[in-house]
Amino acid sequence: MSDHTRYQDDVGAYLLGSLSELERQAFERHLRGCAECQEELARLRPAADALPASVEQFQPPARLKASLMELVEREAEAEQQAAARRRPRLRAARPAVRRRFLRPAYVAAGLLVALAIGVTVTQFGGDDTRTVAATVDNAMPRAGGSLRITGDNATLRLHDMPDLRGARVYQVWLQHGDRMVPARTFEVGRSGAGRVELPDVRDADGVYVTREPRGGAQVPSEDPIVSVPL
Amino acid sequence: MAHDIRDLADEEVMQLVQAGDPRAFELLYDRHGGAAFSLAYRMVGRQVPAEDVVQEAFLSIWRSRLRYDQTRGSVRTWVLGIVHNRGIDALRRSTVHDRRRETLDGVEERYEARERTDVEVARREEARSVRGALDTLPVEQRKTIELAYFGGYTHSQIAKLLDEPIGTVKGRMRLGLEKMRRELVGGMA
Repeated sequence: MSDHTRYQDDVGAYLLGSLSELERQAFERHLRGCAECQEELARLRPAADALPASVEQFQPPARLKASLMELVEREAEAEQQAAARRRPRLRAARPAVRRRFLRPAYVAAGLLVALAIGVTVTQFGGDDTRTVAATVDNAMPRAGGSLRITGDNATLRLHDMPDLRGARVYQVWLQHGDRMVPARTFEVGRSGAGRVELPDVRDADGVYVTREPRGGAQVPSEDPIVSVPL
Repeated sequence: MAHDIRDLADEEVMQLVQAGDPRAFELLYDRHGGAAFSLAYRMVGRQVPAEDVVQEAFLSIWRSRLRYDQTRGSVRTWVLGIVHNRGIDALRRSTVHDRRRETLDGVEERYEARERTDVEVARREEARSVRGALDTLPVEQRKTIELAYFGGYTHSQIAKLLDEPIGTVKGRMRLGLEKMRRELVGGMA
């Protein structure tokens, strides 16, 4: 009996969660090298994925959301505090990388962009909202975007960015004087479009994007590929 | 003009969740918590254990948020897959296999889920379509699929329960899913 013959009947049971833990592990090992089972799995998966839609729908009690959000907010705050504690040490440990952002040529380019802002800035509605065009690396000729700033917050929108698919993600950095503070990471998917909400940019001197390992970095590993000096 | 994250698509909300934004996570829960709770309740049959399953699942979603890969499916499918796995864990670690559904206790606290009208209409249509596809299955295929997916039973447990060979049980699962797939595809055509 071939390996495939032995496992082909497991596809349905696997999709329904009906294999034991050991059987599931064995099937997944087989699956990695079996194109036929992969194809069968992809074909039948929509049927299994549809099953939750068949059940009678209820609203969960409010206390469930309250207790869940209390835990999540506490964890998010702890993550932010841990990141803030790590930041100075990492910056001190890799000064050479940090300085790359401040190379004279780059600063000059930033100044040129800053000069252009007078033309590209568009005011919308009240005085509290403005949009600044982003400049992108020449290696991405079709890419572009803008930063829309409303009060303390901003939305960075980018289009036609390469889909990094895999280990790396895009990461946003906020420039505060000579410091680059890590902000959010994002992916663009096949559409090439990305949108990132950035809280608290009022005091930032610029918003930049680099490509970093999944999960983000504490110091930028390359010169920015998207720049929005403010 | 403030930007409202409630206007964002699930995949965009998920990017914010991946960046560690609790407000985006709350929105994710608001959108899918009802379906998650309903699935968990269908599986474990009691309100408090269903709440435990949902809480465990959403905490797991928050803690493993970087693992979401939109190329492998929708956010909703990913969320409900995690809820399903947690539901199975809960059923299998339960020593008391009393899986009768609650009849009275806690009924007062349950309400039908309400969503935006357009979403609600689409979801009701999807529910009708999936129930219709299940109804087309021969009774033994439907029973096998329900025992596996909602009951959390392994194929060997089902074989014992139904007094059928394991190969027959596995075959019913595969054939049943195949027939459902054809019905669903036909329904969308």
